[in-house]
Amino acid sequence: MGKVCHLFLTREKAYFLHNLLSGEGIQCVAQFHKETLFDDYRISSQNEDCIAFAIDISLLQRAVRSGVSICSEIGAAGSAANRLQIKLVKKLPPNCTQAMPFLTFETKGYKSAVIQDVPISKPLSRAQGLELQTALDMAQDIPPTLVQVPDLNQLQNFVHRMKHVGDLLKVSIYKYGDLHLQISTTLITLGAEFRKLLVIGEKAVAPSEDRNLSAQTRSERAISRGDAQSVQVSVKHFSKSLQCHLAKPDCAFFGIAPQGACLTVIFQFFIPGTR
Amino acid sequence: MSSSAIDAESPDLVCQLDNVQGLVDALSAVRWKRHQDAVIELSEHGIILIVEETGCLQAKVYLQRELFVRYEYSAQGRPRFGVSLGLFADCLNTFSAPGHSSLIEIRYPGPDMQLLVKSVDSPDACIYAEVRTRIPDMISWDYNFEPAGSTPLTFTVKSAALKEAIDDLEWPGSSIQIKLQPVPPSVSFKGEGHGDLQIDFMYYVNTDLLIAFHCDREVSYRYKYKFLRATTSNLPGCVIKDNRGSKLIIGRGGMLKVQHLVSVARTSNQHPHTDSAGYQQPSRIAYIEFFVKPEEDEDTIN
Repeated sequence: MGKVCHLFLTREKAYFLHNLLSGEGIQCVAQFHKETLFDDYRISSQNEDCIAFAIDISLLQRAVRSGVSICSEIGAAGSAANRLQIKLVKKLPPNCTQAMPFLTFETKGYKSAVIQDVPISKPLSRAQGLELQTALDMAQDIPPTLVQVPDLNQLQNFVHRMKHVGDLLKVSIYKYGDLHLQISTTLITLGAEFRKLLVIGEKAVAPSEDRNLSAQTRSERAISRGDAQSVQVSVKHFSKSLQCHLAKPDCAFFGIAPQGACLTVIFQFFIPGTR
Repeated sequence: MSSSAIDAESPDLVCQLDNVQGLVDALSAVRWKRHQDAVIELSEHGIILIVEETGCLQAKVYLQRELFVRYEYSAQGRPRFGVSLGLFADCLNTFSAPGHSSLIEIRYPGPDMQLLVKSVDSPDACIYAEVRTRIPDMISWDYNFEPAGSTPLTFTVKSAALKEAIDDLEWPGSSIQIKLQPVPPSVSFKGEGHGDLQIDFMYYVNTDLLIAFHCDREVSYRYKYKFLRATTSNLPGCVIKDNRGSKLIIGRGGMLKVQHLVSVARTSNQHPHTDSAGYQQPSRIAYIEFFVKPEEDEDTIN
C-alpha cells in the first residue's frame, strides 16, 4: 500500500494503519488480537496503555522475515522454546547525541542470537493518538450490507483490465446479494455484475420482475427502491485494494459505509486450522 | 446504415465468439499508436476492421463468420461504423480471463447505435459493454492492390524473423529498401540513414526462415521505416509462439501487402505442438493485412 504505516498498540489489539489521517485515497486497517500474534504481551503507557508510532514497512518486513527464518531453523532442531521477542526501546545510535526510538527484534537461534533495531518515529502525542483513534473508529463503521465475493482473482483481473478504459468506477451493492461495477465515459460503458452472492447484514429478496432487465436498469430500480447503495471510487484505488488477495485471505466482503462515505472491503484471515 | 438499424428488435448482427483473447490479439496487431480510429464493416461473410494512416498505410482485420460460434446477419447492404480501436480492444480485453475461455455476444446496433458486447456463459456473473460508434468520416484511401505483372512477386517469411529484421532496422531508420531478386533467390532489407544495415534472406540457404519465394525479375522499392514497423510492431505473442509465417507481396507500383495469420481457435482445442498453420482448421484464423505505399522517389529496377 505504501512505504510507511502507523503501528497502533492497545491493551487488546495491534493495528497496522495506513493513510488513516488523510481524507483521500485508500485507508487500510489491519487488526490483530494480541493472542493472534503474541504468546506474551505487555504494554504500559501514560496514554491509557496505548502506543502509536510510524514505521517503515519494508524495514519491518525485513526484520520479521529474518526472525522467521531463524525461528524455523530452531523448529527444525527440535526446540521451539525461544521465540522472537519484540521490544520498544530508546537507544543512542552511533554519532548521535540524542537517543532514538527503535523497535528491537531479538531472535535467539540455535547457536546465535540476532538483534535487529528498526528505527521508528517518536511515539505519537496524546492529541495525535486521539486523532488516529477517531479515524480508526470511523473506518471501522461496519456497512449495513456486506456481500461476499467468492472469486477475488477473477474480480481483480477484470478490474485491472478496466483501468485502461476509464478512471471512475461506480460500485453498487444490493441487499439481495448483487455487486455491480460500472465505468461510464462519453465513449463507452463497461460493467460487470455478480449476482446471488452471500449477504451479511441487511437483506432483501430480489423482485422477480427485475430478473430479466439489463444490469443498468436493475441498478437504477434497486437504488430508487432503497435496496441498493452506490459509490464512485477511483478504478486505480479499487484495483490496488484488491491486491490484498495476494495475501490469500480466507474471504472478502464488500460494503458501502453509511451515507456512502466510502467503499469498505473487508478481508478476513483465519488462524490456520481454526476455520 | 441499413433501415433495420432503427429497429432494436432485429439487429443487423448478433454473433457469439468463444475465444475473446484471439480477437483481442487480432485487433492488437493493427494498433501501432495510442489513438486510432477504426471503421468496422459488417457483411454476411464476417466482420472487417479497417485502420489507416495519412493515406500511406492501411490495415485490415478479417474476422470471417466461421470464427464465430453463432453469426446471425440480417442487414441490407453493408453497415459501416467508426469506433476507437484502442478503446474497443481494451474493452474486449476485460472479457478475457486467463485460463478460462469465455463466450461473448456482440450485437449491433444498440438503441443508440452502440456496439453491444456481453458475456453469456454464466447466469450469475455478467460483463457487459456499450461502445459508442460514430458515422465513419474517413474516406478510405483507394489502395487497389493489383499484382505487378503476370507472376506475383511474393515471399513468405517466419513472422518472428520478419519482426526481428524490422526491429533491427530501427537504427538506420528513415527509409528501408526491400529488394527481391531471382538469382540468387533472395530478399534483402536495406536501411540507409544514420548508418547502413542490410539484412538478407536467402531462399535456398535457409528454407526454415524463408518458406516460399516467387520472383521472376529483380525489383526494389523503398518504404518509410515507421510504416514498415507498424506492420510488425504489435504482432501478438501467439503468432510467434505458433511459429507462423507472414506473406509479403509487392503489387503494381510497389504497393507492399503484408499478411499475418492470428489464431482465434479455442485454447483448449489447441495442440501444444502446433508447428504450422496446416495443423489448425483454416477457418479459425483471423487474417491481418497491411498495405504500405512505397516512397515517392522510388528507384525501380525493372
